[in-house]
Amino acid sequence: MTGKPLPHKAEVVIVGGGVVGLALAGFLAEGGREVALFDAGGPAGSTANAGSLHVQMQSRFLRMYPEQVPALESGLHLYPKAVDFWHDLERKLGADFGMKMTGGLMVAETDDQLDFLRKKAARERALGLDSEILERNDLNRVAPYIGPAIVGAELCANEGKLNPLQANAAIRSWALARGAAIFDSVAVSALVPDGSEIAVETASGKLGARQVVIAAAYGSRSLLEPFGYKLAIEAEPLHVNITERAAPFIGHLVQHAERPITLKQFASGHVVIGGGWPANLGHGRGFPTVELASIIGNATLAQHIVPTVSNLHIIRTWAGVNTPTDGKSILGPVEGVPGLFVAIPGDAGYTLGPLCASLVADCVLGRTPAEDLVPYSPARFRKDNAARPSAL
Amino acid sequence: MPSDNADDRPVSDAAGPTIAESSTPAGGNAAQTNLVFEGTSVCARIGESLASALAGAGHLVMRKTARGSERGVFCGMGVCRDCLVDIGERRNVRACMTRVEPGMAVRRAGGGSPPHEPANASTFRQLDTLTVDHPDVFVIGAGPAGLSAALSARRAGARVVLADERAKPGGQYFKQSSTGSPVDRQQDEGRRLIERALDEGVEIWSDTLVWGGFEPLDFAINRAGGTMVVRPRAAVYAGGAYEKPWPVPGWVLPGVMTTGAAQTMWRSDRRLAGKRILIAGNGPLNLQLASELLAGGAEVVAIVEAAPSPRSFLNAARMVLSAPGLVMQGLRYLANCRRAGVPLLYGSQVGAIVQTTAGLEVHVAGVNERSLAADIVCLGYGFLPSNELLRAMGARCRYDSGAGHSVVERTAECETSITGLFAIGDCTGLNGARVALAEGTLAGAAAAQRAGFGSPARETLRNASASLRRHRRFQKALWSVYQPLMNSAPAADDTIVCRCEEVSRGDILSALEEGYHTAASIKQRTRLGMGHCQGRYCGTILSALLEQNGHEVDDHSGFAPRFPVKPVPIGSLALDPAEL
Repeated sequence: MTGKPLPHKAEVVIVGGGVVGLALAGFLAEGGREVALFDAGGPAGSTANAGSLHVQMQSRFLRMYPEQVPALESGLHLYPKAVDFWHDLERKLGADFGMKMTGGLMVAETDDQLDFLRKKAARERALGLDSEILERNDLNRVAPYIGPAIVGAELCANEGKLNPLQANAAIRSWALARGAAIFDSVAVSALVPDGSEIAVETASGKLGARQVVIAAAYGSRSLLEPFGYKLAIEAEPLHVNITERAAPFIGHLVQHAERPITLKQFASGHVVIGGGWPANLGHGRGFPTVELASIIGNATLAQHIVPTVSNLHIIRTWAGVNTPTDGKSILGPVEGVPGLFVAIPGDAGYTLGPLCASLVADCVLGRTPAEDLVPYSPARFRKDNAARPSAL
Repeated sequence: MPSDNADDRPVSDAAGPTIAESSTPAGGNAAQTNLVFEGTSVCARIGESLASALAGAGHLVMRKTARGSERGVFCGMGVCRDCLVDIGERRNVRACMTRVEPGMAVRRAGGGSPPHEPANASTFRQLDTLTVDHPDVFVIGAGPAGLSAALSARRAGARVVLADERAKPGGQYFKQSSTGSPVDRQQDEGRRLIERALDEGVEIWSDTLVWGGFEPLDFAINRAGGTMVVRPRAAVYAGGAYEKPWPVPGWVLPGVMTTGAAQTMWRSDRRLAGKRILIAGNGPLNLQLASELLAGGAEVVAIVEAAPSPRSFLNAARMVLSAPGLVMQGLRYLANCRRAGVPLLYGSQVGAIVQTTAGLEVHVAGVNERSLAADIVCLGYGFLPSNELLRAMGARCRYDSGAGHSVVERTAECETSITGLFAIGDCTGLNGARVALAEGTLAGAAAAQRAGFGSPARETLRNASASLRRHRRFQKALWSVYQPLMNSAPAADDTIVCRCEEVSRGDILSALEEGYHTAASIKQRTRLGMGHCQGRYCGTILSALLEQNGHEVDDHSGFAPRFPVKPVPIGSLALDPAEL
């Protein structure tokens, strides 16, 4: 689709072709809108996710950003809904996302860590999650692949995994089949209100749109700044490793109570290891690059938790760019700019992606979204908003 | 590597005593052992490659793919990973890069078995912390280019570490004998060069994989089961080349291998993978292989050469003038083949290979169309540079559409766009061993200078420069004689493009129709290039298909280079977790 001529007008323009933008394109096209989606990268170029379906609160964030805990808790109910939404979408599309609802284990190496998980699990149960604590004996039965250094774990039954390669491709095909036009490798440089329309300026020319949805993750910030919004989001390049195939031996999505790791095995047999080790944006290289310390650290931790991975070869590493927010999604209309919307999921953005896309699509289509989006409004980032009470 | 074989004076030394060519089995006096392969006892020589031992005993099937297809030795040099086997508790080990040791229990790798828990922690060396070594000059790859560079830098006074992935230095050109003394002058020249490097104090680290390079000039290496860092003041990369794919129906069958793989089996290990051997491709290495295999008692069914029958006397004359020794050697190979009555089919290519109960049936297309039966088919359709590490480190490259690969940019002294990182030999283009030796002399001296050592005698540099010019002229003439008409994109939809993930031409065309038009997105859509070989073979085929379908291809449109540049076991990367 290179070199496809740009239309002069579109009813709705979507900026960003990751999982959120692609799902939005599908929902809006299905709602009868004429949709044009732009992505700065190639097709599927900005979808580098590793496919974890996160529900339980990730200790890494609780410990790194304790001030965000209330925000995380207030949005926690969205996560099990988001996983259900993935299921519904898979059924609706008649596609195979490679989904597996195996539950997620967060492991502890010390009694202190296990105590922390006990409190966390109790809090999560109160908020409606299906979380329980496994002692070492239970682990031997439920997850015999977990190594002897682990004393216990929290098991959250709402968690699972899917294969993002399969899911992204299926969602893209669906959006195209519903009539959305997708323009790859066309970066949107600015949005300029122009009467009842918004002028969308791209590297390949300008077009007018009645409505625009910004679903560009960390790339959204510069587009919103001219309107007096300063989103508290930052590109966070993270390291991911993938191994060769092996017969299934790791069932759960595995995380650690204190240290950064996610570890899971796809249905294809590949083990994906990531979870927050830093990478570089690779300025001037055209793609993010990885760091030696992250490969070593991630491999060390993986082998420590699941000793049998020791024998598996790492085939490839890459850097996926995460977009941490203030702990909550940023969804809904942009006050002061009629026709402009934002769709940036919060922590574990891939898990939340399709649900968030659907909620914002409802706003765009003039329907009432199934969730109250006021707590997620971008209004909290308006520069002249400092004096207003917090939206939390 | 393009074979501009033997008979020419080594760049860095006068020719020493040579030994007579001989077909005496080099392994005749090597210690024997019995290994167990899939429950069957196989007699092998200690020190030969496991792939040679197995193929020599008629075991051509090494691994099964996820879909149950059979694969065997293809590249014979640690690139394709189609010869993966499980040895004891070690999983997915390359048979071609593993030496036979007493008491090995070997099984086919299936990809379908869960990993074994290491019976003891000693399988991998768990490190307390990363060791860092600080040589003045670090040379990667111990073929002609790397050996020559290491020697040159060492002579300037630098402490030089020379790392190579194989068990013995020498690379693909000097292929050292695994079990005995040199079997020909090419090996002997290599042996003398290696001995000289060792005598003068070059530290040669064999069985050492350099799998990553990080800013400013840190190399991550895998050695003796563990990871360490080499932080030199200058580095010379001499990674060599590997064979171009020839994606026709049946090119993935066990028994179909590269010319280099068959040559390694014979020249290093004195093993033939079968009796009836068909040699196909483009270039003089095929003649050399035929001549060698005939001497080893094989029946060479035919030599299928893509280039038309040589007619250009002008180019032949140019070759004779620039390297008469090499031309004479080539004529000797040709005479050997003619004497043995081997049909030489010019202007023809392998069009398809079919497995039959009696072996392989090869359909030859082109001027000399016919069907031939063989046990082994050797494919040698040119080479691709092993420049993944350079690309992944960010050295500037440009895409050469005619050659179908990226070429690293270099200064006259062979320095890349990364200060202190030099690149020489076939990893920079494909100019053969003589050019590699000369570039090594120049780049080794320049690297030593970067590391703070004085410049070498002007005469040495002048000689190397003269040799470089002469042999670049020869290579130009050689490849005008062998210039074939071919396109490396397959013609049939069901032909496999990605050997590892079993992605066909049809799968790629479907992805193109769906609107995926970049290497990255087609990779995500089809899994092309996501397997063990990391896209080394399918990448160039994909570029050809993209160009055929009207998409522009440049250096950024291939697969993004990723670390590790070759797969490494997690256990070899892990530190003591207390260090985190």
